[in-house]
Amino acid sequence: MPSLIDIRRRVRSVKNTQQITKAMKMVSAAKLRRAQDRALAARPYATMLKQMLANVAEAASQNEDGSGHPLLAVRPEKRILVVLITADSGLAGGFNANIIKVAQKFADQHRDAELTFELIGKKGINYFRKREVKITGAHTDKLRNVKFEDAEAIAQSVITRFENDEVDAVYLISNEFKTVMAPTLAQTRVLPIEVPKSSGSVDYIYEQKPEELLGSLLPRYVKLLMYRAFLESVAAEHGARMAAMDAATSNASDVIDNLTLIMNRVRQASITREIIEIVSGAAALD
Amino acid sequence: MAFQIEITTPEKLVASKQADYAEIPGKDGYLGILTGHAAMLSELGQGELKVTTGGKTESFTIAGGYLEVRDNQVRVLADSVS
Repeated sequence: MPSLIDIRRRVRSVKNTQQITKAMKMVSAAKLRRAQDRALAARPYATMLKQMLANVAEAASQNEDGSGHPLLAVRPEKRILVVLITADSGLAGGFNANIIKVAQKFADQHRDAELTFELIGKKGINYFRKREVKITGAHTDKLRNVKFEDAEAIAQSVITRFENDEVDAVYLISNEFKTVMAPTLAQTRVLPIEVPKSSGSVDYIYEQKPEELLGSLLPRYVKLLMYRAFLESVAAEHGARMAAMDAATSNASDVIDNLTLIMNRVRQASITREIIEIVSGAAALD
Repeated sequence: MAFQIEITTPEKLVASKQADYAEIPGKDGYLGILTGHAAMLSELGQGELKVTTGGKTESFTIAGGYLEVRDNQVRVLADSVS
């Protein structure tokens, strides 16, 4: 039987941990709200750009040389670049582990292709640095405050490599924010670009030639996809951390309840023992 | 009669309002847009974007991006607005 003082000490320690997890949960909730707001604020631009791209692509494809843009070129996927977005910090349940698992599975499935990795977030970097894979870029500290320029720079380097025929396809593996409890694991092909379908064409006046406009819209679209993935991943990270910390807090409550029960039992047992000792001592005197 | 103008950057929606006249810096020169303008797509250049509503003019400095005009909806997708 553990002594009363030991149990008290454990209860205190669990309570301290619970306070930390509770605080982390609050912080994550606040950060989640901010991340969600930013993701929401980015939506109008994304929808409009997508629509515009669809329209322009359709107009350009009616001309002879419209479909020949280098970013649309589909080649056999012999050299694949994987862009993986993880978090910089842990303590977010399965957030990092799950997405890394997806990336690892992707790597296993494409064993015969030449894979290179572009890693965003410390957790993914730590995982793949220990393994025998080619890493062309490792970015940390981009996710605390997501900026379009950061996403743009990474997207630009990816685009350049694709255009220079260094890679045949680019895949983006990241968490997407669907609900707070369970982020969705997304694996999407970024390059070559799959042009969104247009819903009914409008007869536009083109200030520039459609092909020219398309040539500038396509890289922009890739950058936007990258930025969106950043925002989604950050929102998903905070959501996952909030859920994990909530679970940890309620687990700590359970542990405290159990320990309190044991503590009371121990105390009662010792009181009973003392009474028996006194009573039997008194009986021996008679 | 007015038309709706929306100015967005990748990060946020900067403005969404009714306007009578807009002067927009296209890539190949300024474009003036009034209600009932035909559907148009253009790239944007750098410069001052002016929106006039009821005699009052508001201006934004924008750099790069795209412009779509369609059904009395003007959408400015700027790379940056300051």
